[in-house]
Formats: sequence, C-alpha cells, structure tokens
Amino acid sequence: MADDYAMMETDEDDEITQEDAWAVISAYFEEKGLVRQQLDSFDEFIQNTMQEIVDESADIEIRPESQHNPGRQSDFVETIYKISFGQIYLSRPMMTESDGETATLFPKAARLRNLTYSAPLYVDVTKRIIKKGHDCEEVAETQDFAKVFIGKVPIMLRSSYCTLYQNSEKDLTELGECPYDQGGYFIINGTEVRSMAENQNRPASSMFVRMLSRTSAKGGSSGQYIRATLPYIRADIPIIIIFRALGFVADKDILEHICYDFSDTQMMELLRPSLEEAFVIQNQQVALDYIGKRGATVGVTREKRIKYAKEILQKEMLPHVGVGEYCETKKAYYFGYIIHRLLLCAIGRRPEDDRDHYGNKRLDLAGPLLGGLFRMLFRKLTRDVRSYVQKCVDNGKDVNLQFAIKAKTITSGLKYSLATGNWGQANQAGTRAGVSQVLNRLTYASTLSHLRRLNSPIGREGKLAKPRQLHNSHWGMMCPAETPEGQACGLVKNLALMVYITVGSAAHPILEFLEEWSTENFEEISPAVIPQSTKIFVNGCWVGIHRNPDLLVKTLRQLRRQIDVNTEVGVIRDIRLKELRLYTDYGRCSRPLFIVEKQRLLIKKKDIRALQQRETPEEGWHDLVSKGFIEYIDTEEEETTMISMTINDLVNARQNPEEAYSETYTHCEIHPSLILGVCASIIPFPDHNQSPRNTYQSAMGKQAMGIYVTNYQLRMDTLAYVLYYPQKPLVTTRAMEHLHFRQLPAGINAIVAIACYSGYNQEDSVIMNQSSIDRGFFRSLFFRSYRDEEKKMGTLVKEDFGRPNRENTMGMRHGSYEKLDDDGLAPPGTRVSGEDVIIGKTSPIPQDDAQGQASRYTRRDHSTSLRHSESGMVDQVLLTTNADGLRFVKVRMRSVRIPQIGDKFSSRHGQKGTVGMTYTQEDMPWTVEGITPDIIVNPHAIPSRMTIGQLIECIMGKVAAHMGKEGDATPFTDVTVDNISKALHKCGYQMRGFETMYNGHTGRKLTAMIFLGPTYYQRLKHMVDDKIHSRGRGPVQILTRQPAEGRSRDGGLRFGEMERDCMIAHGAAHFLKERLFDQSDAYRVHVCEKCGLIAIANLKKNSFECRGCKNKTDIVQVHIPYACRARPPPLRTQTSIYEASIQKLFAVTQIVCT
Amino acid sequence: MTEKMMGGAGASRTSYQRYPRVRIREMKDDYLKFELRDTDASMANALRRVMLAEVPTIAIDLVEIEANSSVLNDEFIAHRLGLIPLTSDDAMSMRFSRDCDACDGDGQCEFCSVEFFLSVRCDSDQTLDVTSADLQSTNPRVCPVDVAANALSSAADGYDSAEQKGIIIVKLRRGQELRLRAIARKGIGKDHAKWSPAATVTFMYEPQIHINEDLMETLTLEEKRSWVESSPTKVFGIDPNTQQVVVVDAEAYTYDDEVIKKAEAMGKPGLIEIYPKEDSFIFTVESTGAIKASQLVINAIDILKQKLDAVRLQDEESDMKELTSHLGNL
Repeated sequence: MADDYAMMETDEDDEITQEDAWAVISAYFEEKGLVRQQLDSFDEFIQNTMQEIVDESADIEIRPESQHNPGRQSDFVETIYKISFGQIYLSRPMMTESDGETATLFPKAARLRNLTYSAPLYVDVTKRIIKKGHDCEEVAETQDFAKVFIGKVPIMLRSSYCTLYQNSEKDLTELGECPYDQGGYFIINGTEVRSMAENQNRPASSMFVRMLSRTSAKGGSSGQYIRATLPYIRADIPIIIIFRALGFVADKDILEHICYDFSDTQMMELLRPSLEEAFVIQNQQVALDYIGKRGATVGVTREKRIKYAKEILQKEMLPHVGVGEYCETKKAYYFGYIIHRLLLCAIGRRPEDDRDHYGNKRLDLAGPLLGGLFRMLFRKLTRDVRSYVQKCVDNGKDVNLQFAIKAKTITSGLKYSLATGNWGQANQAGTRAGVSQVLNRLTYASTLSHLRRLNSPIGREGKLAKPRQLHNSHWGMMCPAETPEGQACGLVKNLALMVYITVGSAAHPILEFLEEWSTENFEEISPAVIPQSTKIFVNGCWVGIHRNPDLLVKTLRQLRRQIDVNTEVGVIRDIRLKELRLYTDYGRCSRPLFIVEKQRLLIKKKDIRALQQRETPEEGWHDLVSKGFIEYIDTEEEETTMISMTINDLVNARQNPEEAYSETYTHCEIHPSLILGVCASIIPFPDHNQSPRNTYQSAMGKQAMGIYVTNYQLRMDTLAYVLYYPQKPLVTTRAMEHLHFRQLPAGINAIVAIACYSGYNQEDSVIMNQSSIDRGFFRSLFFRSYRDEEKKMGTLVKEDFGRPNRENTMGMRHGSYEKLDDDGLAPPGTRVSGEDVIIGKTSPIPQDDAQGQASRYTRRDHSTSLRHSESGMVDQVLLTTNADGLRFVKVRMRSVRIPQIGDKFSSRHGQKGTVGMTYTQEDMPWTVEGITPDIIVNPHAIPSRMTIGQLIECIMGKVAAHMGKEGDATPFTDVTVDNISKALHKCGYQMRGFETMYNGHTGRKLTAMIFLGPTYYQRLKHMVDDKIHSRGRGPVQILTRQPAEGRSRDGGLRFGEMERDCMIAHGAAHFLKERLFDQSDAYRVHVCEKCGLIAIANLKKNSFECRGCKNKTDIVQVHIPYACRARPPPLRTQTSIYEASIQKLFAVTQIVCT
Repeated sequence: MTEKMMGGAGASRTSYQRYPRVRIREMKDDYLKFELRDTDASMANALRRVMLAEVPTIAIDLVEIEANSSVLNDEFIAHRLGLIPLTSDDAMSMRFSRDCDACDGDGQCEFCSVEFFLSVRCDSDQTLDVTSADLQSTNPRVCPVDVAANALSSAADGYDSAEQKGIIIVKLRRGQELRLRAIARKGIGKDHAKWSPAATVTFMYEPQIHINEDLMETLTLEEKRSWVESSPTKVFGIDPNTQQVVVVDAEAYTYDDEVIKKAEAMGKPGLIEIYPKEDSFIFTVESTGAIKASQLVINAIDILKQKLDAVRLQDEESDMKELTSHLGNL
C-alpha cells in the first residue's frame, strides 16, 4: 500500500521514489554493517593512533650518575645512552602455548579455551651510545633492534587485524563462527567484552572568562567587570590586564580585538568598567607581574615572576592556538573573540550555548579509549625502561634491551582494563568503572543493540533532568525510544540506525586549502576589517578571516562531495554571526542525507537502477558518496541545512511552491524511520503507539528468546536460551532486513484473541492453549555451562580431575557422585539434577608426620555440582588446556523449557504478561473455521496503554497470512488502518478483525465478537522454574546464624522493616518476636551475674562457672539473638560496652520474668 | 445414518428424550461435513469436545536414542517423533498401557504398544532428510499416516514424488547419524495434543435469515449492491433477472452482524433479521489421518455413550441415594 502511493509517478520520470531509498539503505548496510563505528574507531587506533603515540614519546636519554670510581679512569668524560622507538608492527592474533609453540589464534578457540584474542606488537628500537671525549669529540655508536616484542594488544573481532577480516560466509562457518555476527567486541579470557562508548562534552578547558554581576562589586562606576581564570593562577585576572600582558597596551588596541565595531556603543559600554578597573596597569611588565604575583611562585624576584607569567601565557593559556613563541597576536585575537561572544550573550544578541546540544558532544569509542590507555601504558613502559637502563648504566653493566622492555606492562594493562571495566591502572585514582562490559548474548538484537550503546558519565544520582531529556539535535542520531527506565533513563543512549561517528582526520589539508583560497591570517589584517568579513575556525581555533565566504563554502562543500576533502569534515557556516566553522575531529555524530539542489534530488532513477544491478557489493554505498549524491552531515552542520522529510515533500514543493514549507531545501532524509535504533526498529507501527510503550518493548526485546547466533552449539556460554521453532514475523519493518531479524528471529506468530474468558487472564496474565504448547509452541532450550580448571597450588601440588572417593576424600558434598566417569566428568547424555556433581576435582592434603598417625583423608574435594534448583542433561563436555597449560574443562547442561503457568511472554508493544492458565484445545473458544487462539489476552490491557500498534499489527497479520505475503509495518509510511481493513474485508473477514466465537466449554456463541488474529509474540527469559522458592528451615549464615539470603542459597524470605512496622501497628507482639527471634537466630547462653560475661555451663553435670569471678552460683540463663553474642571483632575489645548491653538485657529479662 | 441417543432418564422422571438426526453432506477420508438436528448445544459441544480430546489414537510416546549426532538434540527429536500421526484404526481395541495386564503397565507389550526403529546415516555430501518414511514399524497396521497414504496412492498410480517425501524429522549432514527405538502407545488428546485425532472440529448454528422484502424494495440497485457487499462472506446476492436480493448461501454467514449494521447505517433498521436455530448444527470434522473422519465421529459417539453409561452406573449405585438423602435433609 505504501509502495503504491510512493509509486505514483510524477511528471519527472527520473525522480526516485521512497521505495528506491531502500535500495540506498541496503547498499549502506551491506557495506558498513551495524557496528561500523566500533570497527572504524578501532582500525584508526591500530593504524594511526598507536604509531602516533609511540612517535610522540620522547627519546629516552640516560646519563650515568657520576659515581665515585677511583680505580678506573674512563676514556670519555661522559657517555650518553639514547633509546628511541621507531616503527611499530602488529602481527595477526597469536597464541603461545605453555610448551612454547606459537600458532594463529581463532576467535572460536579463544572463546572456548578462555584465552585472550590479542596480537603481539613489535617495535623497532634504536640504541645510541654517545661518548663524549675530553676534547669534545663525539663517538656515536648506533645499535638497531628490529621488532622488539613490547606486548599484546587485544584485537577487535572483524577489524582489519582480525583473522576473520573479509572472510567469506563459508569460511566463517568452517571456522565455527556465526556469519551474522558482526564483531566489534574483544575476547578477554574467553569472555566477549565490548568497550562502552562514552558520551562527553567537549573537553572542558582550564580557562574561563566570566562577567561579574553588578551587585557583587561595591561602589565603582558600574561594576560589571570581566575577568578570566588562567591555569595555575589562583585569582581571576581582569581581561584588560591579560591583554596588556600579551603586549597590547593601548586601550584602542585592546578594544579592537574585542569589539570589532567601535560604533557599537552597547558593547563598548559594557567594556568600560573593565577598562577602568585595569587603569592602574598601563604596561606589559606590570601586567605580567600582576599575573605572576597570583601564581604558584611565592617569594621570588620580580624578574622570575614576570618570566613565570610569560610562560603561563605562552604554554598554558589557550594551548590549542599555539604554545610556541610569537603567538601573542593569535592568542589576543582568540581571547578577544571569547570576550566578544560573552558580551554578545550579555547584551542578548546571542543565546547562551546549549550544553545538551549534540553538536557539543563527542563520543569516545573503542579507539580513543584504548588510545588513552595505550598512551599511559606505553609511558609506563618507557619509564620502566629508563629506570632499568639507568640502573644498568650506574652499575656499569651492559644494557640489554630485551630485559629492559617488559612486555607484560602493556599486555596485562590492556587486559586488566578490558576485563574489569576499570579504565586506567589498577589501584590508582582516576579510573573510570564500567567502561567495558560483558557482551550481552541473549538475543541477536540485544547483542547488536549492546554494541551500539552509549553511556554518559554524568552521575546517575544527579537531579538535573536536562541531560536526560530527548534533545532536538538527537534526531537521526540517537534512538528516541530505546533507553532504560529508572536511574539511567536518558543517560544510556542507543545509536540510531544510520549514524556515522567520525574517526577524525588531520586538520592540515583543510588549513592548506584555506591558505590557497586566500584566507587572511592575523598578521596580514587589521582588526578593522573583521566586521566585514567572515571568521574562520578550524576545530574551534580561529585561523583567519575571509572576504568571500560564499565561494569558499561552496568550493569546500563541492570538494567534500567529490571526496577531495574528507567526507567527514563538518562545514558550518553561520551567516548571522559571520563565522565559518570547520571540524575534523573524532567522535562527532553524523548521518548521511540525500543532497538536494534546486528542489531536486541529485540522485536519479538511473543511479538507483545501476545500484540495483551492480555485480560486486564493493561499489555500492561508497560510490554514491563519491559521486556526490549523498553526504554526511554532522549535528552542528545539520542546523545550517534545510532537510525535507520525504521525497514527496520535494515533489510537492516543486509543483506548488507557494504551499511548500521551504523553497530552499538543501538535503532530504533517506527515510524517516531510520531515526530509530536497533531494538525500536523491530516494533511494528511504533508510530501508532504511546511512546513509553516503545521504550518498554525496546527493553523487552532484549530479553526475548530466539537464536542468538547460528553457532550456539559450538559455543559454551554460561547462559543461553534458544527457541525451538522461531518464526520470522508476519508483520515486519523494512529495517529488520538489515538487523537479520528474519534469519535470527526471536518469537512466534501466535494467534491472539483479545477477550475475557474464564477470568484467568486478569491483571496482565494470559491464557495459553495447552494443545499448542504440546505441539511445540514456545518451547525453548536452556543451556548453562560450568567451568573448572586444575589449579596449581604452590609449585608441586596440583588439583586433579577425577572421581572423589568417600574413603579418602575430605569435605565431600551431599550430592551424588555416581554420574561422574573415571575422568571425573559427567559424560554427555547423563541426566543430572539437583546437586549432582558434574565435575569431580580433588587436591592432595599434605600429610603431616608431626601429628603422629596419618589422617584417614589424603585428598580434599573441590568438585563442582549443578545448581540445586536446576536439572537437565549434560549436553557437551570440553576438556582442553588454558593459557598456562593447565587442564581446563567446560561442561554444558541443557534442559527443555516448556511454557507453563507463570512464564512470561510479551507482544512487540510493551504488553508483557505471565501465563495465568493453560487450556486444552477443546476448552478454548473457537471460530466457525475451527480456529482456536494460542493466547488470550485481556482487553483491559489495551485502552489505558494505547498500544494501537498491536491492534494494527494483528489485522495486518491476518491480511498477510491470507495473502501469503509479509505485511509492511515500517513507521512513517502511508499505510492506513482503512486500507488494511478493506484488504481484510476482501479476504472474507470482518473488516476490523472481529470474529464470532463459541465458548469451548458450553458450545454457546459468545455475546461479544472477539478481536482475533496473528500477533508476533516473544518468550521472555523470566520463567517460574528459575524463580520458584520456598523454605521452612534451612541454611544459616555462619557469623550470625540468621537465615541465609537468596534463592541460590536456599535462603529465607526477609521479614523487613516495613513488615515489622505492620506487626507493630497490629500489636502482634508475640508474632513479631517469633519472626525476628525464634525463627531467626534464637540462642541461649549462661551469663555470670557479677561480671556480665558468658559463663561456662555444663548442663549435663548441671555445673556452672564463671572463671573470671570464681563465681559458681550467680549464673543465669538468657535467650538472646546469636547475632548479639557473636559480636563483630572490633566490638570484642570494648568489653565494657558489651557488658553493659548484657546487663541491660538482664534488666529487661528480669522485668519480663517477674 | 441415524444414531439414537439415549437420555439418561429413569422411569420415574419426566423424559427429556429427543431423537437427534444426522445427515451427512460430504464425506472424504479426512473430511466430513454433516448436519446434526433435533438436539441442543450441550450435545453438539460434547460431541465436539470428545472428538478433539477423548478419541484415542496411537502416537510415539517413548524414545530410546542409541546414537544421535544430528544438529537437533534428543528431546527435540523425541518431540518431533511424537507429533507424527500414526494410523490408529486399531486404537479403540488396543489397551492403554496404564491398564494393560500383560506388561504390568510398563507399556512394552504387544497389546498396548507398537515398536518403531529408525536408523539413518548420511554418507553423501548432500544433506539427507530423515523422514517419517524411515521409521520401521513392527506392526504393519500402525505406521505414519503419510506413508500409509503413499502406499495406497503408489499402488494406484505413482505420481507426485515431492508429496511422497514424508514428514521431515531431522536433516543430516555428511557423517551424522540417527539411531533410535521408539514405542508408540495409545492415548487421548486430553493428555497430550499428539493423541488428538482431529485437526479441526467445528460446528455452527444454522442461521435463519428473514429479509424484509418490502423494505428491501425501497432500496435502489446501487444501495442493494453496497448492502450485499457489506458482508465479508458471500451470503447474499442479487438476482440478475429480478434484481432482488436473494440469500445465496445462508451458511456462509458468520454472525458478524455487518449486514445488520449496514442496514442501520442506511437508515433501514429491520431490513434483515437473522437468528441462529438453537437445535440444528452443521459440523465440519477434519482428521489428522490417524483415523478416518467418519470413524472419528462414530468413535466419539461410542466414547460419549461409554461416559454416559458410567454416569448412569453411578446413578444407579449408592451415590444417587446419598445425594437424594442429602437433598431431602435440606
């Protein structure tokens, strides 16, 4: 239906349709996949950043400490050792076995054997020994060490250094990989780990300029002083003083740099107080001294202070403008510009900057994060090298670089951060927690979504609502629906489908271009021309002005479209402020858009045809970009464009220009439904749902069972759910194609009736057809893997797998050891349940001869048993060696989960419910055609939640099932309920999806007609069998003897404060005492009445004694909670407190007794 | 074929006995359409429910897997085997394993079970489909229904090889193997849907349609046409000669009220009146092939009679006395 409308050809036969846009989208996903941002970012790190980090490290120069060495007289006055690092080399991922054999490592092996998927990194090192003779002659000795191993770098899967890079689908399957897996994560010790993308404001500068409010200044002429904070300077410095310190002394000179137009009296007026404030300082030296006095140096000479201040101005103030000498003009202009902007804002000509605007945010992906870590670790490495070499040199030993370079620094440093998520060195301040996370492998969609998730480091507890809210600039960049509920709401975001995160490019091509195109820099211009010309900024740094910005921008854009300039460069022309801002940095969000010229798309029908008929997938998307049909627009540039929502908008604007929204469209959306993220793209008709429902579904889609990867049988995930008969949905969205939801679905097209029937589906429960369940409806597999290894204990003793023997093994469990084979492992196919032991392991107990006779026990049990609440079959057993060459085993248990009362299900519209009742087919309501529903949901679930999308999905599903087609439920298309209804009527059904049904119990017609049709349902991972828990008596904690906590420990249910309050309110004192004391940790002790300490009691002999008091008569028996007796160690010394409490207790007990 | 049904009336009480009539409209092996008249909904529905849930068939219930290197796990294959319909013409005379004397209820004797064997190994490069045809039955009367059907049709003429492939159990790759022993037992659909002999059992109340001809005549042809069109199913038509609205197929009416609503929307309430007849039902029975559809109905009636007998026996025994005495005390 949507297509028909879109197909409505316009008079221009070459205009493309919205349908054609999908060919473009397909080309995009074919080339880029869904985790491109991660891969691009990592590749950039490997290919450029890493080398840059090595290059930027200064040479290590070591001079021997002058040592008193009377015996020897050296030939040289001084020997200098210089060590420099050169080219780096990264190999393919490798693995060195414990026996020294090295082989290429494949991800499958890394996952199964708990290895780290990392590649060795080598670097060329040059050692130069410069010996200076007595007569100043120099002898240099150069020694090259090629390819010195400096550590292993974890490799992102499917990145260009991964072994799987550009493998065909067949090869991937042969390697035991899922061809649908997109990579973008690391494997650290066998677990898949993704690095979180961090979402940051542009790094805050250490310099601020502020305008003080009028009230703060007492007296004075008007009081609105402008002051600036400089790095390392304690007090704020008046801006005029800074200008004077920079060498601009005259008021006119200064004003020229701030207020470009002297006729602007309003602005000049605002500057007056500042000028007056700095009136006393009329000289550069004085100004510098003024700054220097407020610096860190105290009690030094004026010269030193001036030098210090100069240094601060040169090196620390605005370092991005320049840190060399003679940058004063540039800095003055830039500083002036800062104040100019501040004043504009103060006057109200310009609004304050929007902190939440996404153009002001940069995303740190895997590359920059790893880069930061690598820089730190490499520095540590060089530092260690330096200290080692220093030690060698000082001791007069020969320097051996092989020993100097400790590869472990980088290897374990990177591994540590990725494995724990603590970004930074262990036990050091400034580490960020939770940067990397274990990849979610519940459903394919949850994996994809996890790889596209962003985290904002702003405190969760912050009350500020603004950063959590959806901002206009999120359009097309962040998914408006997919965000968690609760604490992290709005702080954790998900990328929209077509976002491209820039990886960064060098700024110098841009600067060269500007130079060529007659940009005037500050040396050439006088401030007077600034108001007439446009200021040019590159990455936020003012580089010059230009008098013909129109032409400049036009050429720049043209070059970018021809990819002569990098496509990811942002070109923002602010006409009102006369500014041109160019950005080349990394982490900006951008997205592709069709380019429009003269209200017409540049891409034509013939280009689409060529795209569809292309032979190789390589020349797809890239061609479209290089031919200039499509360009990437970042969030900031987006503000300067006019984007039409649909292609039809353009056509309409051309046909009747007077009704058009705009006559100057510059771009066109590729498709509006691409604003959604991975999880929200699975929802049919999200544009018909109340928005929170889409958010709920986005969260629930991640808990649905399906097929999470195709190689699940070859993997040993700790937890896995697989659906028996997954179906692709009848009602789909176009984006699903690229999420592979059809190939790896997570649900079943159930026949759903919305009805009240027998009342067993109230309050979000559902009735399910037992006969359908018998036939395999929503059956699923559950896998759990247990792992263990033979750990080394000391140098000689090692644990052993094997069947423990009750005769000689200490500490054996209650569970059955029968199921173990001789090798100590339960063989595949064994039915296991309860606390059965599945991995038998023992360690020898050292026999102490000192104790006389040898103990009965020679071994101690370390077996692993099944979780007590689970049962199933042993599915697969894997026995290998780990990185240390120790035997290592993984056992996978499998069980079939059949839907039962209490299991959780949901539609794709945030409508979750548990099974309240199962009815066999004959008890279910039926239609004349003999159809019985699989699921009956209660109609009360609909009106208040307004999930109209579900109803439309249902009737479209009915039409689709009848026509044998897929229904298209992509949002923002021209599909209407009326169209679907008409189609349904044609199929011979009541047009709104209602059907007359008959009661299965009685055979009577139901009074109301029932809304019935196929709806895609998901089975969620929450199942009663994993939750059911009850306990009478059971295990207690050792310390307090109170009942243990949690189902896994067979713990009790907590009778908490609020329950306690209820009982108090009821006055049910005895019940309360029973709950909190008798049923918890009741204990009886004998206490000496004299000292209040616990006495020795022998109830059998009826003898009581307090040793300390020599008291044998005044002993009383008290009932106290065990927690009270077993006081925590710190209290133990404070006997008096304890005594007092016991005495008090006495008093109480005695009162009760009497 | 007319079947008399006995109302459980004692001599002392008023008789509610009725004499239901059955008229068969269409009969195929796996499809049956018949009318049931002169009885009420409770009877019709009881028949439907018994057909779905209580007519016994034979289905695989126990699987012993000797070797399974296929991609599907043992439970999965066992579940799939269970759902294969087996020819169950002897099911009525067979014993339930639970009350079989010959084998003490362990269900492995010839009176209550049928053994199947399956042994397949793929040695070619092409994937091999393991189908119901690979199941070797020890009792020739009990075998997968599609195999039985193919045996019949190939005896007649060997056409359509695609159809003869059988029900796929699992697909094997080179080197994979499946060997198992399966035991089929008698059971009823109430216990597990695999024992249900019926694919669809449904009935409808016969509609009585009264067209108000006078009112209808006030409509123009155009209006008539749009009114006729308003029904999603083809219930009404327009006579090409007289241009009168006629009932084409009353039974196509699904009680969707669309025509009534349409009449009201056109400002002609009472244009049509449709009532369901309370005592006549049109049944449609589709069988899975385990037993013939006609046999299914007969078996269902038999079982229903047995159940009523059980009630009557109870009736005659002490329970009724207890009940009457209990009632008398009130």
